[in-house]
Amino acid sequence: METVILFGPLVGAIICGFGYKLIGERAALWTATGLLFLACLLSWIVFFTFDGATQQIPVLRYIESGSLATEWAIRMDRLTAIMLIVVTTVSAFVHLYSFGYMDNDPQWKEGESYKPRFFAYLSLFTFAMLLLVTSDNLVQLFTGWEGVGVASYLLIGFYYRKPSANAAAIKAFVVNRIGDFGFALGIFALFFLVDSINLDVIFGQAPELADTRLTFLWGEWNAANLVAFLLFVGAMGKSAQLILHTWLPDAMEGPTPVSALIHAATMVTAGVFLVCRMSPLMEFAPQATAFITVIGAATAFFAATVGLVQTDIKRVIAYSTCSQLGYMFVAAGVGMYSAAMFHLFTHAFFKALLFLGAGSVIHAMHHEQEMTEYGGLRKKIPYTFWAMMIGTLAITGVGIPLTSIGFAGFLSKDAIIESAWAGGSGFGFWALVIAAGMTSFYSWRLIFLTFFGEPRGDRHAHDHAHESPMSMLIPLGVLSLGAVFSGMIWYGSFFGHADQVGRFYGIPVAEAAADAAVAHDEATGGEAAEQGHGAAAGGEAAAAGEHHAAFAGKPGEGALYFAPDNHVLDDAHAAPAWVKVSPFVAMILGLAIAVWFYLVNPALPARLAENQRPLYLFLKNKWYFDEIYDAVFVRPVIGLGRVFWKRGDGSAIDGFLNGVAMGVVPFFTRLAGKAQTGFIFTYAFWMVLGIVALVTWMSIGGGAQ
Amino acid sequence: MMQADLTVILPEIVLAVYAMLALIGAVYSSRDDLAPALVWLTTAVMAGLAVWIATGTGGTRIAFGGMFIDDGFARFSKVAILVSAAVVLVMSQDYMSRRGILRFEYPILVALTSVGMMVMVSAGDLMSLYMGLELHSLALYVVAALRRDNVKSTEAGLKYFVLGALSSGLLLYGASLVYGYAGTTVFAGIVQTVSQDDLSLGLLFGLVFLISGIAFKVSAVPFHMWTPDVYEGSPTPVTAFFATAPKLAAMAMLARILYDAFGGISGDWGQVLALLSLLSMFLGAVAGIAQRDIKRLMAYSSIAHMGYALMGLAAGTEFGVQAMLIYMAIYITMNVGTFAFILMMERDGRPVTDIRALNLYARREPGKALAMLILLFSLAGVPPMLGFFGKFYVLRAAYEGGLIWLAVAGVIASVIGAFYYIRIVYYMYFGDEGEELDTRSSPALWGALMACAAAMILGIVNMFGVEAAAAAAAATLVN
Amino acid sequence: MEELLREYLPILVFLVVAVGLGLVLILAAVVLAVRNPDPEKVSAYECGFNAFDDARMKFDVRFYLVAILFIIFDLEIAFLFPWAVGFKDMSDAGFWSMMVFLAVLTVGFAYEWKKGALEWE
Repeated sequence: METVILFGPLVGAIICGFGYKLIGERAALWTATGLLFLACLLSWIVFFTFDGATQQIPVLRYIESGSLATEWAIRMDRLTAIMLIVVTTVSAFVHLYSFGYMDNDPQWKEGESYKPRFFAYLSLFTFAMLLLVTSDNLVQLFTGWEGVGVASYLLIGFYYRKPSANAAAIKAFVVNRIGDFGFALGIFALFFLVDSINLDVIFGQAPELADTRLTFLWGEWNAANLVAFLLFVGAMGKSAQLILHTWLPDAMEGPTPVSALIHAATMVTAGVFLVCRMSPLMEFAPQATAFITVIGAATAFFAATVGLVQTDIKRVIAYSTCSQLGYMFVAAGVGMYSAAMFHLFTHAFFKALLFLGAGSVIHAMHHEQEMTEYGGLRKKIPYTFWAMMIGTLAITGVGIPLTSIGFAGFLSKDAIIESAWAGGSGFGFWALVIAAGMTSFYSWRLIFLTFFGEPRGDRHAHDHAHESPMSMLIPLGVLSLGAVFSGMIWYGSFFGHADQVGRFYGIPVAEAAADAAVAHDEATGGEAAEQGHGAAAGGEAAAAGEHHAAFAGKPGEGALYFAPDNHVLDDAHAAPAWVKVSPFVAMILGLAIAVWFYLVNPALPARLAENQRPLYLFLKNKWYFDEIYDAVFVRPVIGLGRVFWKRGDGSAIDGFLNGVAMGVVPFFTRLAGKAQTGFIFTYAFWMVLGIVALVTWMSIGGGAQ
Repeated sequence: MMQADLTVILPEIVLAVYAMLALIGAVYSSRDDLAPALVWLTTAVMAGLAVWIATGTGGTRIAFGGMFIDDGFARFSKVAILVSAAVVLVMSQDYMSRRGILRFEYPILVALTSVGMMVMVSAGDLMSLYMGLELHSLALYVVAALRRDNVKSTEAGLKYFVLGALSSGLLLYGASLVYGYAGTTVFAGIVQTVSQDDLSLGLLFGLVFLISGIAFKVSAVPFHMWTPDVYEGSPTPVTAFFATAPKLAAMAMLARILYDAFGGISGDWGQVLALLSLLSMFLGAVAGIAQRDIKRLMAYSSIAHMGYALMGLAAGTEFGVQAMLIYMAIYITMNVGTFAFILMMERDGRPVTDIRALNLYARREPGKALAMLILLFSLAGVPPMLGFFGKFYVLRAAYEGGLIWLAVAGVIASVIGAFYYIRIVYYMYFGDEGEELDTRSSPALWGALMACAAAMILGIVNMFGVEAAAAAAAATLVN
Repeated sequence: MEELLREYLPILVFLVVAVGLGLVLILAAVVLAVRNPDPEKVSAYECGFNAFDDARMKFDVRFYLVAILFIIFDLEIAFLFPWAVGFKDMSDAGFWSMMVFLAVLTVGFAYEWKKGALEWE
């Protein structure tokens, strides 16, 4: 079944991409989409029937070279199961959505066949992503990692007639390369240290790595920390974390379904997945995880600030994605991997929903993306409006404080913020709370600018604004369900008590009473935990909660690993009430300001931007990251490249080779031609000469006495 | 005793008796159209023998007091020789009969030269070696001059004959020196008197002369000068024959004598072979560039290829012998396919050998052009064609044998040599408009071309088992 | 090595005798011959060659053919002589080997006869 899930999209991509001329365009599109829905259905079956025990399903012999020996296998554990449903569900509905969205694209002329190519890329991407999440060793994972990179490149540059799309595609590819270099170094280092790339072997040896020193560049490092850091560099690139985040906003040049699938729901979360996947290693790398926390928090904050002032509807959501990824990394950084996965899971639904909703708006407005041109669209496109509302309620985290009733984002985001507090990261906690406020502001700003107020911009476009076709509305509806309920349903599994989470992920759990350290936690915070989330987990969970269990797995046992001294889960449940309420307060604050700015007093934002011009420009220009990179890296590298090209390649290499190829070799060719006189005696003479030379050489240099 | 000896050489006897019977039968028959039938009959006999040898008993059998050895190495070579000779024979028929040069002697001479080659690769004694070599050579001299009313063909035959006599002389001189200093002509006896610690200069001279004599046969530089002229002058089917089976036979014979008789001083002959290999690779690559005549070009190509095969041998290891055998098997396949294509090159029914005549050939004959492209890329050693793997094996053998400089030189030479192969591709696909070639093709030629081209691609899976067979053959020789 | 070379002594003796005999015969001709040329003696031979002329001259290719055929049978005789001399001590294998050799030679002979190589015109 897992094999069908994995290879279905590949088969779809091949049939659709290469066979559409044979079987017709419609059939090709439906083949790809149908296979994706099949994969989606099977994924849900796998998810619900999965018992938590890790298993490996070998596919074929993969690499055998010296001590580097590994199979291509599907690693089936809870982490994979979660990713499977996320990837296939979003992908399947994005396929369906694309039927409507990509119809009559103005980028192409009448009669040009571009849809099969688009669907093939989407399916190819899905295959690569599945390859990534099902991998059982790091090289296989890296293959998928690069595969999604390629698919992303192809899809960002899908409108290849637009120079900006091509530039964005290249930018995404190049920036990711920097991250991938770190990732590759991490894989090399792991292979160097443990002589294997299989995850099981690596996890088994993780404790020893913590005591190993490794020389790298200028110094000696703790092996576990170094490797974890290098792997995180890869994750930073793929997940658009600060420093390597610049490609993600530009990636919005791609068609909107692509943004929803790749640059919101799946590919960009690969970095989070990687960190969670490597949790047995991360748990032994305290400095690296601290770094992850700081970077994640900084990204969440930074991206939220930039999101405040963007006017392109897709860019707002892109920065929002960037920011939400930061949340996930904070959770992973403080050791609460299940919370990171929780947010990844819920985020996939509501962010894909937001993007597809935005796509629907754009579709309605004839590919106009500036929010300043929108306004009052609520009546024109009511379904889209409600879908966007649900998405916004989810992302801003609307719910009833101190209970576990609320939209998906409410539960998962609060889980992260509580974890950040419990993990002892003050910076992380406050950055996330403030970012939550800003998230609320810019999300509502988007809603108000788009759907409320007076229509602005081109009258004609507004007059002809129309609701999207059914193929686009169905995905919106399905994802809305996910955005509403996915948090409440799986709260216990992701962020409930240790034994619930342990059962979900297949991690062995021990009775807390036996563990003195946990007993202490119980004494201080047990009651609060009961209060906070007892109701959430429902009857069964409440019963389970009585046991007060702790994680007791060894590294590699179960999908995630929590070190024995990792009490973040219990501490988070035991957090004071003000901690738990703070994100809600921030959200309300953000909503209030947005209402005031865009509904009550619409002239205020422009005035504020005028008053605080430097700050406005600073945010508007994304903290000038692109400009700084351009000056510091891009220009010097281009200059250096020019030197290598003109001098190195042009003069030295071409000069040398041309000299050899056009001067030296023809000279000898002529010489050989002259020697070939056609007379027998010359030939005989050469033979005799040859034998004389050989005999002389042998008698002088040979081994004879 | 005698009985047992005769069983060992039964395949050779069968082929020889067949040749003589066919000769008498044909010359006393009054019918004129005997030649095509004889071609098919000879092909069938040789193919049957190949099957017989391939499926025959394993193990090593020695006959006539060590003069004749039938082991895995010999069987591998014989099968390759018989199969390639048979295929070339089939390919010749259409071409020769349309030009009126298909005489009944031709298949018989091919059969006789095959007998000679079979004796060569099985020789366990300097005398049987020489006997096989001469039987093989004399028949070849005649077929080179098969078109006796043609000046170029007779010139080719005469040149080959005179220089061949000279090389035979060198070989004999070496053999007599070896006999003089070793006191025996049996390889098994020579190998006992030859050792690294106590090597007399006379023996070393003898060895060098022997190598030189055989180097003429494999057309290694500087004993290669006959090759372009003979290739060009001989009728094309004969050229195809020259380029295939005799090369393998000479190569195998060289390996046989070096390992069986001089296995103790592989360091010494390794140096000589390395030098010959280096010169052959570079001269083949460099001199081929100037050629417009595709047959001359193939001559230089085969010189270069022999350089690579010698590289495997020069390594002096079991793996080197295996690499050489694999290389030769691939080389033969490539040449059969390429010559099948050359045999089809004609305009108004007359053969054309100028490569510029291939202008835009791909437009008219995309299938054949593609097959030729695959073969040419394979000859040049472009992965993933089989030719690349052949080169890879010998380069690896040289590397593992400590001849890193030779391996590096081989790579450089192959880059230079790639030029003239790819130029043909250029003419076929991008050349200028010009006079067109005929599109006629005979089924045998077309089949051979396509089969060889397909083998270059499909062979990468497991080389049709040649790799394992060559390994087994090399093991029997070196141990 | 000494031992080996000593076995070749008869050959050395043979060489010396051969060279010596040749020289003696040539010198004898110079010393003893009666020189009395007449037109009949200095005219061309039946084969058409001048008695005194440059040795490097063209002549009919058919002479080669005959010469080659002659040499083959000449060699046959060279093989037959020692075989005949040692016939008494010979095994069956030795006998049949020569028979096979002769048979092969006969095949060749039959071929050239039928092909007309033995006819002058």
